[in-house]
Amino acid sequence: MAAAPHNFFPPASLTTSGRPVLLPGEVECQLLSGVDLESEDNASGSNSSGSYDFSPLKSGVLILTTHRLLWLSSDSSNTTAIAIALGSITHIFSAKKSIKAMFHSPRFRFQVSVNSKSAVVTVVVRGKGDWEAFFAKLWESWRARAWETSDTVSKESGGSASSSSSSGGLYSSDGSVRMVGVAGILRKEQEMWENTDKSLQDAFQDLNALMSKAKEMMTLAEKMRQKLLSGSNSQTSSGNDDEMGSKEMQDWLLSVGIISPVTKESAGALYHQQLSRQLADFVRVPLERAGGMINLIDIYCLFNRARGTELISPEDLLQACSLWEKFDVPVMLRKFDSGVMVIQNKAHSDEEVFARIKALVTKPDAFTSGISASDAAMTLGIAPAMAKEHLLSAESKGLLCRDISPDGFRFYVNFFSEIDPSNLYLVKDHSLYSVWIKATAAS
Amino acid sequence: MRRRPGIGGLQTAANARDQYRLLGENVAKLRTDLMKEQLATFRSQLEDFARKHKNDIRKNPTFRAQFHEMCAKVGVDPLASNKGFWAELLGIGDFYYELGVQIVEICLNTRSHNGGLINLPELCNLLRQRRKGDRGAVTEDDCLRAISKLKVMGSGFEVISVGKKKLVRSVPTELNKDHNEILELAQAQGFVTVDEVERRLSWTTGRAIDALDTLLEVKLLLLFTTSCIPELEYNCSLTILIDWCRKGLP
Repeated sequence: MAAAPHNFFPPASLTTSGRPVLLPGEVECQLLSGVDLESEDNASGSNSSGSYDFSPLKSGVLILTTHRLLWLSSDSSNTTAIAIALGSITHIFSAKKSIKAMFHSPRFRFQVSVNSKSAVVTVVVRGKGDWEAFFAKLWESWRARAWETSDTVSKESGGSASSSSSSGGLYSSDGSVRMVGVAGILRKEQEMWENTDKSLQDAFQDLNALMSKAKEMMTLAEKMRQKLLSGSNSQTSSGNDDEMGSKEMQDWLLSVGIISPVTKESAGALYHQQLSRQLADFVRVPLERAGGMINLIDIYCLFNRARGTELISPEDLLQACSLWEKFDVPVMLRKFDSGVMVIQNKAHSDEEVFARIKALVTKPDAFTSGISASDAAMTLGIAPAMAKEHLLSAESKGLLCRDISPDGFRFYVNFFSEIDPSNLYLVKDHSLYSVWIKATAAS
Repeated sequence: MRRRPGIGGLQTAANARDQYRLLGENVAKLRTDLMKEQLATFRSQLEDFARKHKNDIRKNPTFRAQFHEMCAKVGVDPLASNKGFWAELLGIGDFYYELGVQIVEICLNTRSHNGGLINLPELCNLLRQRRKGDRGAVTEDDCLRAISKLKVMGSGFEVISVGKKKLVRSVPTELNKDHNEILELAQAQGFVTVDEVERRLSWTTGRAIDALDTLLEVKLLLLFTTSCIPELEYNCSLTILIDWCRKGLP
């Protein structure tokens, strides 16, 4: 009996827009669509001992990252997602090229071992993606063992710090000068500077050198940032405003920078779809900071900045936003009559605003004198032009009535629906009509 | 230092402390200076690399992420394409997109000071400062072109001409919170003058007049000019004035 795949493979966590949540330092390499995952084909019926059998996962997207292999179901109703750590792959079978393979969908296999149970997974590629490139990248990532290097680097840096010996005298047993007293401190500083200088020189000799020393350079950059750039308030009092503004931006970018942006190279045919989802995830934080609504052009800048050098064109951005209608994401694109396009939270949408307008308009003084656009603007905390638009659309939905007088536009709550046309004077208890009567009788 | 008893001892101890403190300050200053130098070297190296090896960096996703992080921490802008002949002629290629991103970023940073309205020469200047290592200087025409490429994303960015000057508006009316502040001011007395807006909110004249004009257009304010002092213009909030009339002026 084939068991559920979740019992074997750990589930992968997804964001609200259906994008996988990546580990720190994990970068996406390649995506493949239309993929089935099946357990070892037991046509003969005999099951080799110790091998796990799971029911096949059909029609999903296979994502290769530097640390894991993720499978997401493409079915919109089914949100299964599993993760296979590259470290748990014990063997990748080379793809056999046989006559039979020409007629079937391409497939490759690898062996996974989790919790002392092993299974052989067959990946069947039914989509049109370039599976050979994917397979080659799988080998590369598997051999690179990126998940292990993060541990070794931290061990290295820990090891070097504790290298000073502790015997007495100016010269230690191995002949190096001992660090004692003030002179020792100064000498230690000097050594540190010389080391850093040399590191810098070596690292920037050429691109390969920089790549291999990248982690070291990153810690150096962080140190410099902490010491110099954040302590700049006391020293550089004449820093001009642009610098200060961009320092905040920088800090913010460091926290939301996208380490693994979706690119045409990694996603292929799925580019627009995955980009759209990544954008929906990204937009959440700036949207909150801006109060629920943000100019599309501002997002263009912020998203591109977070992606670093992987720029997307304005057309790509627009297309990504228009794809949101197809997915269940919590944000939407809205176009105003003036031509301005904004991104807004679905929760911040019309329904919520109408509810707030209704609360505003059913206050006792509003029953007698109504509300104007400026009142609404100040209560809702939005621009007056927007407030006016909201009031007009609330009116078209039947929530409000307008009153045009020399005073200008004022809006009142609409309770015409509560009035029975055959008996105009019948007032139901607890209706808006009765509240209105009470309020106007008092004034 | 040998400890001496009595007042002499206290003085020696105080001297010693002073000397240590001076030494410490010197070391700290030396350390900061050295670090600034190293930072400058680091930055210029990163900028060089960003320019020369751009394509190679993009090919390797893991390294690309690390490179971006380094740039972000040290304050280097990794967008560094050159204009190129075809880019200028046909207006395509990365250069104008990069410029677009940098322009919007400058507007975002200066927004709290100028309310989203910035004049074109100032924008170009700030842009040139940001692209210091650039071999080809950025002209105003380049800026305009980059902005026109943003048009496909709606009219959030506009270039308005006031006489001979060109201004770039990055905050559309629908999202402009400046107007709310004016209305709040107006509520206190029933009217505001241009001077008052400038003074109380610390805005420039251009920003104040622009916001007041927009509010006039959407008919949330009325304009009164007093004939005896022609420079002063009073803007009364329409509904606030009527409220006043009802309650009676004090």
